[in-house]
Amino acid sequence: MTAPAAPYRAPGVSAGAGYRVAIAPRRRAGWRAWVLLGVTTVAAFFLMIWSRIALDHTAFVLQEVERETSAEWSRHKDLELEVARLQAPERIVEAATEMGMVYPDTVRTVEVAGLGGGGSETEERWVDLKAVLGAQP
Amino acid sequence: MQPGSLRRLNARLVTVGVLLVVCWIAIGYRLVVVQALEADVYADQGRNQRLQRETLAADRGKIFDRDGRELAVTIDSVTVYANPREIEDPTTVARLLAPLLRMNMLDVLDALTTDGTFAYVARQIESAEADRVREARLPGIYFLTEPKRVYPMGDLAGQVIGFVRADDNVGLEGLEFQYEETLAGTPGELLVERDPYGRTIPQGEYEVVPAEPGSDLVLTIKTEIQFAAAEALERAIERTGAAGGSIVVVDPATGEILAMVNAPTFDPNDRSGADPVLFRNRAVTDAFEPGSTMKLVTISAALEAGIATPDTLYEIPRQLERGDTTFTDATNHPSELTVTGIVAHSSNLGTIMLGEELGARELHRVLYAFGLGQSTGLDFPGETAGLLRTPDDWCETTCIASTSIGYRVSVTTLQMAMVFATVANDGVWVQPHLVREIVDGRGARVPVDPLQRRVVDVGTARSMRAMLEEVVSGGTGAFAAVDGYRVGGKTGTTEKYLYDEQAYSEDDVVASFIGMAPIDDPRVVVAVVLDSPQRDASGGKGAAPVFSEVALAALHQLGVPPDGE
Repeated sequence: MTAPAAPYRAPGVSAGAGYRVAIAPRRRAGWRAWVLLGVTTVAAFFLMIWSRIALDHTAFVLQEVERETSAEWSRHKDLELEVARLQAPERIVEAATEMGMVYPDTVRTVEVAGLGGGGSETEERWVDLKAVLGAQP
Repeated sequence: MQPGSLRRLNARLVTVGVLLVVCWIAIGYRLVVVQALEADVYADQGRNQRLQRETLAADRGKIFDRDGRELAVTIDSVTVYANPREIEDPTTVARLLAPLLRMNMLDVLDALTTDGTFAYVARQIESAEADRVREARLPGIYFLTEPKRVYPMGDLAGQVIGFVRADDNVGLEGLEFQYEETLAGTPGELLVERDPYGRTIPQGEYEVVPAEPGSDLVLTIKTEIQFAAAEALERAIERTGAAGGSIVVVDPATGEILAMVNAPTFDPNDRSGADPVLFRNRAVTDAFEPGSTMKLVTISAALEAGIATPDTLYEIPRQLERGDTTFTDATNHPSELTVTGIVAHSSNLGTIMLGEELGARELHRVLYAFGLGQSTGLDFPGETAGLLRTPDDWCETTCIASTSIGYRVSVTTLQMAMVFATVANDGVWVQPHLVREIVDGRGARVPVDPLQRRVVDVGTARSMRAMLEEVVSGGTGAFAAVDGYRVGGKTGTTEKYLYDEQAYSEDDVVASFIGMAPIDDPRVVVAVVLDSPQRDASGGKGAAPVFSEVALAALHQLGVPPDGE
């Protein structure tokens, strides 16, 4: 058997002062809480679905961009090939001949001070000269 | 209801109930098996159906000329294929498809009526052509993107660059074959989830190991010089009626091949119907007896050994008897010739006298030092070493005499070009090469560092160059003169040896001229060989004018200023 509990007495309060502990009655959950929970749950579902769709959409956009990049890259390669074909000496000679160009009978050599001359640097110097001539209006 | 009927009804109900319960138990059991016991197995099966492991093809490296012009590139082409099982009326589809692909209708029909679910209709066609087929929206016709190797310069350097197999772009000939590993790169791998229509499932599994592109090759070839050489050779063949020919242009200081041309040639873009013989780079794979151009080696050896100087005078007999062979000179010249005169007049007898003074072993040593009888080590497949017998195999009678004047030894056009390049480079032989540098996928450049070795003394080389100039200015190579430049070289005309008949031809010769320019500081060596010319059938008349054309073009292209009249 257990002894009955002594009534609670706050420190410094003499017995019979009339204090007692009162516990508030439990409030019943109202229908608003249920609605809020439902709305939140539905919103969370929609948010999840929306984010999933957004991700899928982005993935499709990314795929499309990749396809376009690939197509542009392919086009770039085609253009590179076209440039190479246009640079073929055979084509240039044919075009030049059609335009009435002929090789000169005599070749005149122009010597530019500081450029030309024998030695291993001639080719590099010739490149410089071509750059100088190419820059002329 | 009668009690009997009720019992029967109850019995039926019990039976149906029992059956239903059994069914439910079976379904339940199956459910447990599928969802619990073998869940992993089915999950894996489903995953394997969605997951696809695909190989990502590596971009094959490009091939450039020395100035960065594309000689070989890879583009995306479209392949048209069919699923014959999806085509209900193959004849109609073939009739519509054939004109779009510019193909024979029966060929298309053959493809559309094969067994199975896959048949190629047209491989590696241009995008524009494929677009026309797409627009037609024909049933059972599909498209694949495939890499295609294209050679923008066509037949310009077909035998040098080679080609790849259409199916998998693996190199089969030329540099494409030689540098297969370098050009091919490393394929990547893609792990991706796809739906039944082949579309990528968003947020599905996706792992990619990117392909590593192949390295690019920068060749030593200069397109303009290659073109000039090809044109000159074509004109020479037309003029002389030769069966074919080869030209090699080399920078003697670096060993870089500036041009390498063979005729007839082929277009690597369209090999259909081409004779495989044309695929050979004959300047490297075919050997011939060099004849008088070999005198350069014999005379160099004599100078190097101190047997003679350029001014040493020799009395040249009318003929020399060696064994059962009588050697004579083909040109008229004074009875006394200096060594320079022997070279200028291409005297067989004078050269034989010098060769015999040298002896078999010394002559063989110098021939070998110049690179004869061995591969040059050119970075090219199928190079022949030619033929140079060891001195022990030389006979006592005619062998020294024959070898001294370029018989009994066989060489390639490239080997002879390198002999002259050695003299042009003050006696130093530099290993010839076709690739200047390799550029990897990250842009790092690896230049080629060729081997070098001294063959003859500087003085000997310079003396030889002076003699070679005499050949052009007053000897057999007059047609090799180049306007504005002092040049030197040597003619060669040999009877063609027919290997099948093991005898020399009575009609056909090999005509050659190998020279260098400018003679004081040569920038180019040009070797021209014509096979069986019918007119102008000698090195001096047939090949020397070709040298003149090609050397002039090369000197202009390299920006070498004139040094003569």
